[in-house]
Amino acid sequence: MKIYSKQFALTTAGCVLGICQAQHASAAVSDEDFKKLADTVQQLSAKVGSLEQTHQQDQQKIKSLQQQAAKTKEPAREAPPQAAAPAAPIIDLAGAANHNVVLAGDAEIQFGKMSGQHAGFTMADFAPIVLYRANDNILFEAGFDITLGNNQSTLPGGNTLNNGHSTSVDLSFAQLDYLVNDYLTVIGGDMILPLGTYQERGAGWLNKIPDDPLARSILPSSGVGVQLRGAAAVGTDGSLVTYSAYGVNGPSSVDGSGNSTYADGSGNNPFNLDLGGNVGGNANLHRNPSYGGRVGYFLPFSAHHDVEVGISGQTGEWDNSGHHRWSAAVLDTAVHLGSSIEFKGEYISSWLQTEDIGTAKPDGWWVQGAYKFAGLDLDLPLINSLELVARYDALHDGFGTNTNRGTAGFVYYFTNTLQMAGDYEWFHSKGPNATPGSGFILQLSYGF
Amino acid sequence: MKNMNRPITSKQRVAAGAGFSVAVAAATALFVLPVSADNDAKAAAAKAPSLSGSELYAIHCNRCHSERYPKEFQASQWKTLLTHMRVRANLPASHAKEILKYLQEESGN
Repeated sequence: MKIYSKQFALTTAGCVLGICQAQHASAAVSDEDFKKLADTVQQLSAKVGSLEQTHQQDQQKIKSLQQQAAKTKEPAREAPPQAAAPAAPIIDLAGAANHNVVLAGDAEIQFGKMSGQHAGFTMADFAPIVLYRANDNILFEAGFDITLGNNQSTLPGGNTLNNGHSTSVDLSFAQLDYLVNDYLTVIGGDMILPLGTYQERGAGWLNKIPDDPLARSILPSSGVGVQLRGAAAVGTDGSLVTYSAYGVNGPSSVDGSGNSTYADGSGNNPFNLDLGGNVGGNANLHRNPSYGGRVGYFLPFSAHHDVEVGISGQTGEWDNSGHHRWSAAVLDTAVHLGSSIEFKGEYISSWLQTEDIGTAKPDGWWVQGAYKFAGLDLDLPLINSLELVARYDALHDGFGTNTNRGTAGFVYYFTNTLQMAGDYEWFHSKGPNATPGSGFILQLSYGF
Repeated sequence: MKNMNRPITSKQRVAAGAGFSVAVAAATALFVLPVSADNDAKAAAAKAPSLSGSELYAIHCNRCHSERYPKEFQASQWKTLLTHMRVRANLPASHAKEILKYLQEESGN
């Protein structure tokens, strides 16, 4: 209680003193001073009003700027994120580029002489392959064969004259490859057919002998249609199984008549057969395409020591209404005994049903062996670059002509892709379409 | 020569039908195979070849042509070429991938 009493007394005293002091101050301000003070207050009031106006203007400006900034941010949000910052350089070790075009292929020039003919340059050929990879699973590939030939022109008087050269351009193949998965590729277009392996692996710079085996002439080289193919590894030693199945337009008649006759409409022999078939509204484009396929097995024992065997075939009608078929079967094999020794060959059989002479059975075979002197490991570069090659092939055309041929030759490798090949060929041929004599061929080829 | 223009017999039709059925079944299996394989880690591991890319390169590429040096092409070009060779030479995908990896690494670019 004593404490509260003292506080009350002190507060009361303070108030009394305060009142007295205030009375003293008010008494000291004159009218003049009061007016000055009032003027000052009015000036300050005016300034405050001015500042309030400025503040309102500033607020409006800020609001406007904020709206502009918001508009500027919208397109920035829509822009791709990498546009905001410079991208770091990427090393394309994985070949990540989606689109890529590569030019591969080969070029050849041949000089030769057959018995009964003059020697001369017989061929100049440029065979590019355009590869366009659209992405990891799609590849388009087209092969062309551009060949020089003689050019015949007609003079005003009607006589003809060879005055230079002409150029022929053939489409060897044009196909779209879709790699569906690890085991299946779907191909559409004009395809090299997997009848044996020679055609698929037979570019000019790959053949150790400049010309093709005779028996390949009874098979189509390509066909227009669709193919399913793939391969599967067997075990972990490199062994694999390969498979392919296809449907193509198939063989047709040379004269476009759709008739499965021995001779064409002009009477030309040996038969009215176009192995390549037709595209478009010509003969044999009815509801009966040809079907074929190949199954192969590859067994490596070690690097450069391996065996491959395969069986393939194709069958289908080649006329429009008579249900006459053309069929073929091929057995192929290849053996490597080290990096220097190679053997390969094919046996080809075909059946041709005709309207007028029954079924013809053209068939043939070829075997080839090669030896690289590099296998001797001599300290002689000129010898190491040399490979010897020999082939024996036979063709029975099914119409009475039988031809056997022996070939001996060489390949000299200037580089891994520039090479000179040469061979001498002996023909033994009997029948109405016998091939005469013998001859030699030299070929300079380059693969790229 | 004997005329062989005979109509197709019922036996031939059955054989053709059976062949076609097998082909369709095989094609269907090929489409379905990777789905089941992807679900099976062991199967995926079994697919991988134990041979290296350089070993597979030596086994496969020299079968048909002279050796092509890795530095002849750039990494992206090798990818296109190996896609081409996988189709043309019918190489298994696992082998082609290992060979591509080897060639790209050795290409130096």
